Amino acid sequence: MSKILEIDNLSYRKNSKTILNHINLSLDSGKIIGLLGENGSGKTTLMRLIAGVNASSEKNIAVNGMTQKSKIKSQVSLSDYLDGFARSSRIDDIVRFYRNAYSDFSDEKYKEISEYLNLDASKRLSSLSTGTRGKLVIALALSRETKLYLLDEPLNGIDSMSRKKIISSIIRWKTEDSTIIISDHYVTEIASLLDDIVIIKDQTVYEVDSVENIQMKYHLGIEEYYEKVYEGGLAR
Amino acid sequence: MEYIDNIPIYLQIKETLYHKIIAHEYEPGSQLPSVRQLAVQFTANSNTVQKALKEMTEEHIIAAQRGKGNFITSDETIIGELRDRIVKSTLDETYDKLHALKMSNDEIIDSFINYVKQRDDDHE
Repeated sequence: MSKILEIDNLSYRKNSKTILNHINLSLDSGKIIGLLGENGSGKTTLMRLIAGVNASSEKNIAVNGMTQKSKIKSQVSLSDYLDGFARSSRIDDIVRFYRNAYSDFSDEKYKEISEYLNLDASKRLSSLSTGTRGKLVIALALSRETKLYLLDEPLNGIDSMSRKKIISSIIRWKTEDSTIIISDHYVTEIASLLDDIVIIKDQTVYEVDSVENIQMKYHLGIEEYYEKVYEGGLAR
Repeated sequence: MEYIDNIPIYLQIKETLYHKIIAHEYEPGSQLPSVRQLAVQFTANSNTVQKALKEMTEEHIIAAQRGKGNFITSDETIIGELRDRIVKSTLDETYDKLHALKMSNDEIIDSFINYVKQRDDDHE
């Protein structure tokens, strides 16, 4: 299996505070991977570093074998919480922005996904419920035709009906050769979706394993396993 | 679908599909839904569904037809064997539990017959 992501000894400090320390990570392409960790554990920072939004030296991160930042940007779709848009923007303004900003944005894919999620293009950002806004974020992220999708807590604060639709659209529109990394601090709902998990703890990668191995090895569900890891009660 | 947390999802998908095949919800010889459709239905990843299908293929319950998808065996003997296997594993557990209560075989059989009667009565 080819590697979609390779991170070699990445550390990141901000205002002299260590956020991530000696991260090493190697992920196979084609999978759905859960990036798990407490709030503030550095999941978002790691995603932003992978996507090239946060500055890091170019040596540590390779996406699809490429280390050059400009190349990585065209390989990675990072979910964007749309905070940079005016509250009065209409959905179709935002879609137009995406179309112009990303040459890999597929109108066709957006049309399918937005119809499935019942997104009304004439609605303004300010009028959207948290659930609808979450759906828009996912529709935009998945409509780019890239190799790696980074979805940062896509279910956070979202009602259960919308969550189901979002999960189902991830399954429906994931292409076979693309890889999706989903971060979350609440695992149960996405557990059935995941091939592998990466647990971030103490500023570094605590564990990378397949969900199946964890179930077989520890006879634990992912949620339970993850909690045990954080409580420090798991003998390794 | 509700999953048991600590059992691999692909095994649970396989079991559910086997139950549907035995119950003729999926007819012998008919085509299974596509991997993508099953993935959506089971809220699972395509890789996981594929793993379930791979084992079902190895167990000769389904077979791929080139370019068409997966088809359930039309061999009723194979489906019969599958049913026997599932019946056996269901009974294994009950049998072991009742034996652990020091019940004799006759007592187990009697209580099961009574149980079935009771269930039927409850149903009417």
